[in-house]
Amino acid sequence: MFEFLHYGFMQRALLSSVIVGTTCSFIGVFVVLRGMAFAGSGLAHAAFGGVALGFLLAVNPLVATVLFCLGTAGLIQVTSRKAQLRMDAAIGIFFAFAMALGVLFIGLMKRYDARIYGYLFGNVLGVTPGNLILMAVLGLVVIGAIGLLYRRLKFLTFDEEMAEASGLPTDALAALLLGLLALTVVVSIKTVGIILVEALLVTPAATAYQLTHRYGMMFALSWIAGMVSCVAGLVISYALGIPSGASIVTVATVLFALAAVFSPKRRKCKVCGHKSGFDTA
Amino acid sequence: MLGAGGHELARVRRHIGYVPQRRTLDPQFPITVRDAVVMGLYPMLGAFGRLTADDRRRVEAALVAVGLLDSADHAAGHLSGGQQQRLLIARALVQEPRIMLLDEPTSAVDAATRSAIVDLVRRLHAERGLTTFYVTHDINEVMPCVDKVLYINRTVRAFGSCAQVLNRETLESLYGSRVVFAEDSGRRYVIVGDSHV
Repeated sequence: MFEFLHYGFMQRALLSSVIVGTTCSFIGVFVVLRGMAFAGSGLAHAAFGGVALGFLLAVNPLVATVLFCLGTAGLIQVTSRKAQLRMDAAIGIFFAFAMALGVLFIGLMKRYDARIYGYLFGNVLGVTPGNLILMAVLGLVVIGAIGLLYRRLKFLTFDEEMAEASGLPTDALAALLLGLLALTVVVSIKTVGIILVEALLVTPAATAYQLTHRYGMMFALSWIAGMVSCVAGLVISYALGIPSGASIVTVATVLFALAAVFSPKRRKCKVCGHKSGFDTA
Repeated sequence: MLGAGGHELARVRRHIGYVPQRRTLDPQFPITVRDAVVMGLYPMLGAFGRLTADDRRRVEAALVAVGLLDSADHAAGHLSGGQQQRLLIARALVQEPRIMLLDEPTSAVDAATRSAIVDLVRRLHAERGLTTFYVTHDINEVMPCVDKVLYINRTVRAFGSCAQVLNRETLESLYGSRVVFAEDSGRRYVIVGDSHV
């Protein structure tokens, strides 16, 4: 049954799926709790500009995308603060601009390269050893930062005003989260593609949210959902000969649907009678 | 404290228990009541400090003080408005401050809950020997129990004892409209008039 793992490209595909599933599931907790889904979508679309720039300059597209996405995240953060714009407006401005730059860079290329479009929907079977190393390094940076700043990020997300009053550099932490989200997008685009990476940033963590009232447990459950989605999605895509990105996202969505339907939060608390959500009365 | 920076500000912060308005909380956040109160210790614990037995005792004591011990392991999202406010007070108490700063702790709660919260704050102030700053737009809810009143409208407009500030002349100049005093069951109330008073 597992003979496909004898192939080098499948081993790399599986490893990249593990890295993507882990990284997205961890940062995804903040995407869900802080309402950053549009930021994730925006940075994913901005990655298209980075990929196109990489091909135009004949450099590693993922390396170009790291710099491009971090730059876009920085511009979004600075613009929303200095121009006093809501974050979603700043995201809307720069993700559209980055996509437009991507189209421009493609137009400037002397030769058409179809590999660019492989980044739109993902090509997990095309992950090279170099890609894998970069993904692993970026993934470690993201997860390491979340681990080091676990308490601070928890405080920031639960009560930003109190966190600031306690002396935490909340603006810097928010900017850092946006930067980590940008790195996670880069980790993921070769596996699931620019268009579908948003699903992995949101769905596993949203699944976990259905199943627990505890912050720490949400990370654990999100990781399980992310790993199952990526690994099972990869195996299914190999078995059925369907695109890996779509397969992974479909598994993730099915898991979410099951969690939502059977969520313990839908049942009344035996002690206080509440189902879920804050009582604003 | 004004002009203090860096280490001085950090040192001063440890002595101030700040209770923000309830609206600052994220209602969807997955956290238990106990864990939310533990957050009051985060500035002292730092990034990796572990909770000691003494820290756990302080958390339990804070939950007992506000009457939330029985709800400690519930989802914070299951709390009523009044309970949410008590959770915020517990979070401030857990660091055993010398000064409590409460920002409109009775906003968006009903009259019975408002009275309960004021009574709680008054009791904690007395039991723990606190210096309490209570920010409110409703002078009537705290008039019976404050020592000093500070009126601010961009700048300080009045400061002094209740007798010095809460008189008709001063209040009418502060509010710019007629002020009426009413009494019921030995308690005074201020009614700030409009054209109908």
